[in-house]
Amino acid sequence: MSGTKQADSRPLSPHLGIWRYHATMFASITHRFTGMAMYFGTFLIAAWLVALASGPDAFAVFEPIISSIPGQVILFLWTVAVLFHLANGIRYLFWDGPHIGFDPKTASAVSVFNYVFAVLASVAIWAVVLLA
Amino acid sequence: MVELTLPKNSKVGKGKTWPKPQGATNLRQFKIYRYSPEEAGNPRWDLYWVDMDKAGTMILDVLLYIKNNIDPTLAFRRSCREGVCGSCAMNIAGNNTIACTKGFDELPGGVISISPLPHLPVVKDLIPDLTNFYAQHAYVQPFLKTVTPAPEKEWKQSETDREELNGLYECILCACCSTSCPSYWWNGDKYLGPAALLQAYRWLIDSRDEATGERLDDLEDPFKLYRCHTIMNCAQVCPKGLNPAKAIAKIKHMMVERVS
Repeated sequence: MSGTKQADSRPLSPHLGIWRYHATMFASITHRFTGMAMYFGTFLIAAWLVALASGPDAFAVFEPIISSIPGQVILFLWTVAVLFHLANGIRYLFWDGPHIGFDPKTASAVSVFNYVFAVLASVAIWAVVLLA
Repeated sequence: MVELTLPKNSKVGKGKTWPKPQGATNLRQFKIYRYSPEEAGNPRWDLYWVDMDKAGTMILDVLLYIKNNIDPTLAFRRSCREGVCGSCAMNIAGNNTIACTKGFDELPGGVISISPLPHLPVVKDLIPDLTNFYAQHAYVQPFLKTVTPAPEKEWKQSETDREELNGLYECILCACCSTSCPSYWWNGDKYLGPAALLQAYRWLIDSRDEATGERLDDLEDPFKLYRCHTIMNCAQVCPKGLNPAKAIAKIKHMMVERVS
């Protein structure tokens, strides 16, 4: 009811500040943030490719940045973001297509699973890459 | 519009701590939202100690205990005390529900906060203004609309068609779902909200209703229906165990089906 505020001297009841989050609300917000993180990550990958295409000199500038510890951390977080967005996106497909998984308990369990999946799968991918 | 914090006049300050009831052994602390239009100043959190052995079994009993024994000025709505009227809807320990069916054994530990339904203008204490919510309910025209001449006795419906209405007609209009929805918080003036949309779907799939196309036309708008982002708070909090999120997904499906 944000539209009626100007003419209203009555206080607005507390909302976000008092709300106790369910897993589904967390997953919804995370979906948004990981979506935004993916824009940033895609920009990073594009920059990498541009550097690669521009020749050895340009790549020599970019390479140490992305191989540094902060660079690797960002890449790892980007992996988590992509995998979470993927898993959670599939959940949306099940909801909007066949309307499966709307039961609150199921939806909460799937939300928690998506977090666990994103982290474990990222660790697995990085383990394979780093150990190879 | 997204506004993460409360406006200046709505920030909740520290209130009064009321004395402990004498001779009680099973005490619990409740933090209750207080606001009176007759007193100057912002809303505040008052702290009450409640003797849980004497208070009954439900949160509504706690409120009545406080009103009867500690502070008669505490204002809240209640009527049926058995989950059919929807009057005592409020935010208890961070989630919306109706106080009369919320048992002590379902409460988390620590101090329990009780505040009015979120993101609404407060009339007094735990009583919010639901004018907009009711107007939205009226907007979806929750009644049978037909063009064929009325039958002599009644509009008939097969058992299978009647079963379609299960999980929809039970809504008691307590507003727990709509006021739990962040989309409704930020765009409550344009987005109809889970409760009104559940009602809309209840009439959209009624086999006797003959205004399905018209009803869908009314919802075809960037805000009224499509502001649902399946955050799922509505289904998580519904005290009747209904699922507005699913009903909304089905309306979206009907929208797609009629153009394809």
